[in-house]
Amino acid sequence: MIPEPDDGGLGAGDSVSSEFERQIQEAQQERAADLIESAGAPQGASVPEPLSIPGGKQLQRIQTQAAQVLRPLTDTVWSKLDRKATAVAEFTLRQYRTKSSTWVVLGIGVLFVGMMLMFYAEAMATGYEAYDNDGDSFDWDRDGYPAGQEKRLGTDPNDKFDFPDPELYPPDDPSVWVNEDGFDWDGDYGNRNQGHDDDGDCTGEGWTNPDSWSLPGNKDYNGDGIDCNARYRTNETGQIILGILNDPNVDEDPDEDVFIKEALHRAFVLGFGKIGFVFLIGIFLPLFLATGLIRDEMDKGTLHYIMGKPIARAEVLAYRLLGYLAVVWPYSTVLILGTALITGFIAPSDSIFRFDDMAAWLGVLLASWFVMLAYGTVFCTLGVISPKFGLWIAIGLGVWEFAMAMISLGAPNFPLSWLSISHWGIEIVNCSSILAYPDQSWMAAVSETVNWGEDAPITGFYSPPTIMPTSAFGSLLISIFMLLMVTVMALFIGQASLKSKELN
Amino acid sequence: MIPDLSQTGEGRKEWAPAPEAPHVVLNHVTKTYGRVIGLNDVSIAIKGGVTGILGQNGAGKSTLFKLIVGRLRPSSGEVMLFGTNPFKNPAPYSRLGYVSESEQLYDWMTGLDFVTTLARLYGYTRDEAKARALHVLEFVGLEDVVNKEIGKYSKGMRQRVKIAHAMVHDPDLIILDEPLAGCDPLARTTIMNVVRELGAMGKTVLVSSHALHEIERITEQILILHNGRLLALGNLHAIRELLDKHPHRIKLHTDEPRELGRSFLPHEDVYGVRFPNPGELLIETNNLSSVHQALPGICVESGIRVTGIENPDDNLESLLGYLVEGRA
Repeated sequence: MIPEPDDGGLGAGDSVSSEFERQIQEAQQERAADLIESAGAPQGASVPEPLSIPGGKQLQRIQTQAAQVLRPLTDTVWSKLDRKATAVAEFTLRQYRTKSSTWVVLGIGVLFVGMMLMFYAEAMATGYEAYDNDGDSFDWDRDGYPAGQEKRLGTDPNDKFDFPDPELYPPDDPSVWVNEDGFDWDGDYGNRNQGHDDDGDCTGEGWTNPDSWSLPGNKDYNGDGIDCNARYRTNETGQIILGILNDPNVDEDPDEDVFIKEALHRAFVLGFGKIGFVFLIGIFLPLFLATGLIRDEMDKGTLHYIMGKPIARAEVLAYRLLGYLAVVWPYSTVLILGTALITGFIAPSDSIFRFDDMAAWLGVLLASWFVMLAYGTVFCTLGVISPKFGLWIAIGLGVWEFAMAMISLGAPNFPLSWLSISHWGIEIVNCSSILAYPDQSWMAAVSETVNWGEDAPITGFYSPPTIMPTSAFGSLLISIFMLLMVTVMALFIGQASLKSKELN
Repeated sequence: MIPDLSQTGEGRKEWAPAPEAPHVVLNHVTKTYGRVIGLNDVSIAIKGGVTGILGQNGAGKSTLFKLIVGRLRPSSGEVMLFGTNPFKNPAPYSRLGYVSESEQLYDWMTGLDFVTTLARLYGYTRDEAKARALHVLEFVGLEDVVNKEIGKYSKGMRQRVKIAHAMVHDPDLIILDEPLAGCDPLARTTIMNVVRELGAMGKTVLVSSHALHEIERITEQILILHNGRLLALGNLHAIRELLDKHPHRIKLHTDEPRELGRSFLPHEDVYGVRFPNPGELLIETNNLSSVHQALPGICVESGIRVTGIENPDDNLESLLGYLVEGRA
């Protein structure tokens, strides 16, 4: 037979539990005695009953010291949070730095943004030719007078022998009759009576013959009881302009170049913010950078180097995500603020730099941060839950998110899209754009009224808040809350999964 | 040189287990992987000294270690590391250093980065961690390559940097899973010296191997695993003595095996001789040490030249065979 070892080890099959329990109990009692002794307790104090030691302050000191020595892990973790968190986050950062895939993904993002900025710059450099929407700059009868001037002076614009006296009324330059009646809005959402007939071709004001046949017979086409105005239709909250119904010849000839450039610029901020930063960069970066945060380490068999330290598994997941955020947040910040800076110099503005967009870009930045946080946590958790299929599930989720993003853009009130991260990111951009541009819904309504369509695609990218239509700020906060909720839930699931996972 | 590993940084307060409790306790622990049994009803308690874990590939050595360090959860039974469940509570890891069998390392890091980064996870400040890392890297003999990327390290260096990372926090218990696997002789010697020094420093060291002679050079206390079962736990010399009493073989290489065999037959502990191959003499004995003592005299007396001596039964397989057979 194999002899029993001298140092207390056991032979195979020997019962160990009772002996060890006794050893542990003895050890714990000795430990308590050591603690009391080291804390300055009087000799002979009863070990199992430390409360019998006289002196309240001394007792308190002893208990405090003992608690410090025997403090649970959570205390230790909190006191060392900065060291462990920064150590893991730094390690993650450096790990990203060594991977070529990181640079490829980040590089593609920069190229994408660069290309979009080139398209934007080209669009801004393009002049939009003024278009005579009401046709009154044309000399239909070739008598040298624009139709608008002839109408105002009471001659027939279709009769070449009927024209004003050249001595008294020299012909106007046709450009005078282009863009002569733009949209007039006083900015008051509560005032439905808007619009002004700047060129007088509805009211007849300033016309030689106020009863001219060429003035509209029905000057209250929109039926609001007021002649020659524009009736603004708002939603039930009165905060969003849904449509504009003009009386005839009112606000019928706005300045295309000014309006379309402004609408194009805002469409770029909205569209690029939503599709570029919130959706494309917002989903691809986390997909490539966060899915493998834990999963790759498990695959390679290196996770135990970190997990084998006195640090809770849940913390490792959180700190790895911190490292991920330390890459993607500064990256998106640089890209978005860079874009804001470049567009600020190119965008239509009265000054060298356009500051009006900053709030909108900050909204895009906010959306990008929270979306990347949520996607990153979800993807990382998927990698933890299923190291084998996590990436494929993440790609499937990406397809779902794409579909929901499209729904959010086209039909933002369709509730199915609320079950996606992209919807809430898009909502943040919408809300921040409304806060940045108080006349955003007016711009969209004008664009639709004039039917500029592709020239001013703001209607395709703008939509009012969905969750709280009365308050853009409220909707913004709710959207952030929803994204944080997704993040926290994913984090808890990931942490729970990691805690129960065996690292074979 | 034994480094002063007792130094503690200002920011580091140790988790304090009960001081006299066994460092490792396995109480009727079984671990299965589907239908495969990795470890079968193992009960051990370990504290102090260097313990060699012997077993062939698949015997359950790594499974045992993974259970102890909390990487795996037992299918049944109870694992206690410093008195707590290591799978649920990472606190005892502050007293544990673990060198896994995995050859994977962060090749892009330098040895110093690797050890420093992981040391910071024990709560050391950056400076403390670096100072300790330099200390242990010197201890394992890597002081000249601390700033070299691990990817450029030799196999032995990689093992030593793993050992360094495991001892940077001055643990009470160090577990080394096959630390000598794949190392060249020089690296083996260095690592064995390190392990012996750790034992001399009063650490509890568990070191696994499938080579009996390797463990023999490190420690006398062994634990033998076979097919997931704990076969024996005790002093290697005591086991060897038992083994020596068991039928044993000595192989001699000589040009005249038959003549030499004839000279051995009169010895009272020799019960047979065989000639398995030309030029080989196989002596069968019940008392190995007695025959080894008499062997030089008999050879000299016979005047026959012996070119080599082998103990074919002096290996793990023979030991396992004996132990398994003995149990049967």
